[in-house]
This record gives sequence, structure tokens and C-alpha cells, in this order.
Amino acid sequence: MGKYKVKLDFFKLVKREIRIMLKNFSIIYSFSTFFVIASLIFVFSVNDISYVKIFYKSIVWIVLIFSIMLVSENFLNEDFNDGSLKELQFLGFSEESIMVSKSIAMWVMIMIPMLFLVPLVFVFFQITLYELINLVINLFLATPSLTLISILSSLFSVQLKRNKIIQFVIILPFFVPMIIFTTSTGTLFESYNLNENQFLILIGIFFITLPVCLMAGRLIMKEINK
Amino acid sequence: MIFNLANPLRFQRLTEKIEPITLNIAIILLLVGLFFCFFGSPPDYLQGETVRIMYIHVPCAWFSLMIYSIIAICSIFSIVFKHTLADLISRSCAPIGACFTLATLLSGSIWGKPTWGTWWVWDARLTSELVLLVIYLGLIIINNAYEDKSKADRYSSILAIIGIINLPIIKWSVDWWSTLHQPASISKFSSPSIDPSMLLPLFIMTFSFFFFFISILLVRVRGEIIQRKIEVIRFNRMV
Repeated sequence: MGKYKVKLDFFKLVKREIRIMLKNFSIIYSFSTFFVIASLIFVFSVNDISYVKIFYKSIVWIVLIFSIMLVSENFLNEDFNDGSLKELQFLGFSEESIMVSKSIAMWVMIMIPMLFLVPLVFVFFQITLYELINLVINLFLATPSLTLISILSSLFSVQLKRNKIIQFVIILPFFVPMIIFTTSTGTLFESYNLNENQFLILIGIFFITLPVCLMAGRLIMKEINK
Repeated sequence: MIFNLANPLRFQRLTEKIEPITLNIAIILLLVGLFFCFFGSPPDYLQGETVRIMYIHVPCAWFSLMIYSIIAICSIFSIVFKHTLADLISRSCAPIGACFTLATLLSGSIWGKPTWGTWWVWDARLTSELVLLVIYLGLIIINNAYEDKSKADRYSSILAIIGIINLPIIKWSVDWWSTLHQPASISKFSSPSIDPSMLLPLFIMTFSFFFFFISILLVRVRGEIIQRKIEVIRFNRMV
């Protein structure tokens, strides 16, 4: 019974986060718009489209990282400012469950719609259908880690009144392994047929990121509410 | 003993006595080490005179990792036991570690140009060391970003603990990936592949850097203690 209650409460929490996201639909809209426009700017900045075709994955990933970090900031700030972050903890929700629920909501409401935007890259960057499928799988596997790290970064900056750029400086180094492995999946897919291993590394990164982010998130949330 | 020294005032008094000694030892060892580096060790048969950069580069690289380990251990202490001294040490270590990492990258770059033919390669060892520098910079920024110092200490401790992931990557990057950077020449489990005539100045320089690091750290920690005292006095005056 107790276990069932905890389970139910967690799903209620996820539901709450998704509802908030749906109410603030402008976040999803602005994220999608930013993603498309920023990707386009890269295309405009390069005269020769063949370069874009080579670096399409890097461009998509860099744009994605910046856009998700900008979005995650709004996501947590509201909860912190209106006191609901404190309230949730007061109600007995663990810091981990709050963080996981936020990550799930963010992944469902922002990352999944983003996957539908990726075909635009197929058109703009003139990549093949094969490369597009590769990119979608790549994003699908790597975005959960990305979401967790970005939520952690916004937790770091939630109490900062000025100089919000700090969150980028602090967290960007931790994206390095992800960037390395996500951008190398395609080339291995084509030349050595070792793509399965590379994709497994992305799943592996998630299983490293999950406990680390939850542990760090718990400590930061406790510190925030002191 | 450790918990006894955890009192900042007691620690400050101790540092006042130790710091001149460590600094003098560092200077003497540095002079002896430099003599051996330039006159007591032969040039390499392949790299020629450029091998002498190793006497700066290798100790700096070791200390960049060691200082981060100290920060990480202090961060764990800070979170678990809430030691003020652990916070002060990790806060003081961050800029020193950043300087050692920067020196590693710069000296490596100067060595890389004549040896590899380039200032920089995106090699696993070099990249992970660069990431370490960025983490150090992140720690310094976090330490100065928050008005409440105890909050800044806590956040930087959390970041330092996350950053531990990078240490094994730096250490074993040369074994895990095929890198341009050579594997470790000095290992705990096998005899060193460096000639003893080169090993001696390397160790002297390492010990010199160690004592230099200790003396700088003590000065910085003392400075931090004094700064916090001033803040307390200012706060009391305001109240």
C-alpha cells in the first residue's frame, strides 16, 4: 500500500510538471523557434553547403545544448520564486523524485517535439535519409542525459541574482564526453559498422549521468532551501 | 590531530610557523633542481634539449591532478562533516590548481611544437587536461559568484565532486585511446623507463614544486581566514 502510494505520488508529480509545461506553452514554442533559427544561422554563415553537410551533427548538438540550457533556467526559476520547490519538499517528496519528474516532463514536452523538428535539418542541411535516422536515434538516446545535466546547471544558478552566464561556464565542460560520442556515432556507422557500440556508450553515459546528477541535485536542493 | 587542526585559528597559527620553512625548502630544491636540469642531465638522443621542458611539464601535470584530488577530498569533508577548514582549503587550492594546469598545457604546447610539429592536437590526454582547466575555472567562478560564502563553498564542493569523473579519464586516457601523447614513463607497478640521470632532476623538481605548493596554499588559507575575520567584524559593526 505504502509503495503504491509513493508510486502514485511520483506520477502525480510528473503529471503536475507536464501540466505546468502545457500551461507555459510559450516555452516549448520559443525553444522550437530558437532551435530552428539558430540552426539556420549556421547555414547562412557558411557559403559552401558541403561544409554544413559534414558538420550537421555538431551544429545540431551545439544549438541543442544552448537552447535546452536556456529553457531549463525558466523551468526551475518559477518553481523557486513561487516557493513550490520548497513546498514539494515540505510535502515529503524526495529531492531525487522532484528532479526526475522535472527531467521526465522536460524530456517529454521539449525533447520529443524537438525530434519532430529534426527532419527540417534533413531539408536545410541536405543530409541523406540514412544520416537523418542516425541523428534521430542519436538524439533519442543522448537527450535524457542532456536534460538531467541542464536541470542540474539551472539548479546551480537558481539563487544567482546576476551573472547567469555562470551556469554555462560551470556545466559546459561536462557536455564534452557527450559531444564527442554523439558526433562520432555517424562516422562509425558508415565506416566501421561499430555504431551499436557507440550508441551503447550513449546509454552508458546516461547511466553515469543519472546517479551523479541525482546526487548533486539532492545536495543543491537541500542547500537552496536552507 | 586533523580535527584538532580543523580550528581555523589554530591552523592559522600553525601556518605562520610552517610557511617560511616550506618556502625556503622549495627555493633551495628549485635551485638544485634547475642546476641538475640544465647541467646534471644529458639531452635526449631523439628530442635533444627540448626534453628539459619535461622537468617543468611533468611535475605540473602531476600537481594539477593532485590538487584536484585534494579539492575533491576537502569537498567530501566539507559536505559530510561541514568543516570550515576543508572549505577554506578547497577554495584556496582552486587558483593554484588552475595555474599548474595552465603551466602543464603551456609547457606541453611549447614541447609539442618541435617534437610533434604542432602547438596543439585534440588528443584525449590534452583534451581531458583542458577540461580540467575549465573545471578549475568553473570552481573559481562559483567561489566568487555568490554573496553568501558558505553557499558558494557548498556549490563548489558539489561541482568538485562531480568533476572527479575527469581524473581517471586524464590518468588512463593514454591507455584507453590511441593518443599522440606518450603513456606514463613512471609507474608504481613497473620500473621507470627514464634514465636515472633524468629521473633525479625530475624528482628534485617535483619535491620543489610540492613545497612551493604547500607554502602558497598556506599563505592563501591564511588570507582566507583573515578575510573571513574581517567580514565577521564588519557584520558585527553593522549590527
